[in-house]
Amino acid sequence: MIEIMNHLGYGLQIALAPINLLYAFIGCLVGTLIGVLPGIGPAGGMALLIPLTYGKEPASAIILLAGIYYGAMYGGSTTSILLNVPGEAASVVTTLDGYQMARKGRAGPALSIAAIGSFIAGTIGVALLMMLGPPMAKVALQFGPAETFALMVFGLSTVTSLAGKSVRKGLVASTFGLMLATVGSDLPTGILRFTFDIPKLMEGVDIIVVAIGLFAVSEILSSAEEMRAGEFVVEKVDRIWLSLQDFRRSVGAILRGSFLGFLIGVLPGAAHVTASFLSYTLEKRLSKEPERFGQGEIRGVAAPESANNSAACGALIPLLTMGLPASAVTAVLYGALLMTGVRPSPFLFQKHPDVAWGLIGSMYIGNAMLLILNLPLVAVWVKILKTPPRWLFPIVLAISFVGVYSVNRSALDLLLATILGVLGYCMRRLDYPLAPVILGLVLGDLLEQALRQTLMISGGSLEIFWRSPIAMTLFVLAAAVVALPQVLYRGKVKPAVES
Amino acid sequence: MIRAERIGATVVLLLGAGYLWEAIFMEEVTIGDPLGPKVFPIILGALMVAIGFSLLIRPAGVSQSQPFTKTAASALVLAVLLCAYGFGIEWIGYPVATFLFLLAASRLLGEKSWVAGLVIPLAVSIGVFVLFTRALDIPLPLGFIEKLME
Repeated sequence: MIEIMNHLGYGLQIALAPINLLYAFIGCLVGTLIGVLPGIGPAGGMALLIPLTYGKEPASAIILLAGIYYGAMYGGSTTSILLNVPGEAASVVTTLDGYQMARKGRAGPALSIAAIGSFIAGTIGVALLMMLGPPMAKVALQFGPAETFALMVFGLSTVTSLAGKSVRKGLVASTFGLMLATVGSDLPTGILRFTFDIPKLMEGVDIIVVAIGLFAVSEILSSAEEMRAGEFVVEKVDRIWLSLQDFRRSVGAILRGSFLGFLIGVLPGAAHVTASFLSYTLEKRLSKEPERFGQGEIRGVAAPESANNSAACGALIPLLTMGLPASAVTAVLYGALLMTGVRPSPFLFQKHPDVAWGLIGSMYIGNAMLLILNLPLVAVWVKILKTPPRWLFPIVLAISFVGVYSVNRSALDLLLATILGVLGYCMRRLDYPLAPVILGLVLGDLLEQALRQTLMISGGSLEIFWRSPIAMTLFVLAAAVVALPQVLYRGKVKPAVES
Repeated sequence: MIRAERIGATVVLLLGAGYLWEAIFMEEVTIGDPLGPKVFPIILGALMVAIGFSLLIRPAGVSQSQPFTKTAASALVLAVLLCAYGFGIEWIGYPVATFLFLLAASRLLGEKSWVAGLVIPLAVSIGVFVLFTRALDIPLPLGFIEKLME
């Protein structure tokens, strides 16, 4: 324990050096700006700004990139809450209750709890990273393709069964997401699937295009209709700051989200997306009033925002302890490390303690810096909502279109986003949940590849799943999550999922 | 709204069937991979067809979903504007397309004043274009303006 404190002290010393502090600040600021603009997620933003790190000390370069990462994640939640525009896949969950809070005049508390939740989760995440790093890395090593597949099935079925009022409609949504993921050239064989001879579809359907189309465009189409019918109301902002009561209400969700997010973050796959979806689902399940979720429940913002932050810490474990990048973001960090001449390996802590501990220290500093930077900004952001909707919505669409267009520089993506917007509008009308589509799309590729690799290892026999206790446990849990509410509540009260 | 539910279920069924059809007639390639690129899509398509069928026979309870009303037309018009805007971006360039889109969309959503109706789109379209292309180095098409400048 004392040893760990010494290490952390060393890390903080590096992170608190004036020059590194400045880099952390620049990183957080630039990251927040990037995150606020739709279309450029954390990984993309970091990749764009890698040139900034040329010629810097390895520790400083990593601190700068980590700052951008944190800032971008936080910035993404800002637009999700204020405008229902998710900047990346993980903040889709934040739109569900965050935007409803904003429409009820509670944008301030929603933004504040996102900042505070992220800070607490970051703190817990860094602490867990130091204490559990090495043992957790061993667990993560147990995850072969079979276990990864089972984990994703578990994540998808949990979210599907609790997303909407009907399990079957949730299943339609997640299957549709998986279908979208199969569009494009197939990774192992290179053959084209579902591209209909359109060259631009070869690279598949981008998540940003779907997230903006399905959430932002469809929401604005619905609002346009309500405005026409004179039913559209955005309530006045009643208070900007978080009340003590709101905070008390969210503490449990923040803590649970932090631990759950960290655990999922360590595992392979699209960790921070899965983490935010699962923590939201967990809170809805635990709540005595699950019907409040989706209507502006503050826990529905606190939980996913905390989870995706601590998942970011968890995701560093495979990178720092084994030299394996397990997510898009850590892959960019991996690349940046290579460029500065540091080769991530199982010996990173021994060979380059300044980089490893400096990064951990700076994550903590970055967290604190974001909180200080962003709490005063809440008052500024909330003012955006004073723009009359007849101007706000078209302008949001125009800026979102830049985000969509810049993904592939293709007008086809703009058309796709519009079509998905109309589809999302119809799905809202018919009570099909939208969020599982995003999770299906994010996990689709990984899920299919994991399944194919598993069967390649076993020579086509499904017995391999039976022989993995971890996979079987996850399958049983997945089945229980889907089946239990149906069995338990049959004939009694209305099931929690249907209220 | 049982009829809307049925239409929804039919769309799900058709989507599943169309996808399944495409999957079944996909090129067969195997590289020592027992599943290949076809099996996973076939499973997805079959699943979608099955749920669509079940939703058609036994609709998922009567939802509180609102019916499509006359005001839905404004959502449709906005969607059409967006399509035109999307194509216009490469054709007439981002600034001009954005100006026209903002002008039309704000009228649709109830802007009455012509002064504000013209000044705001002008300021926003130029402002956003300059912000992205100059400050962030994200290139946006200029369309025919580029040719005029040559």
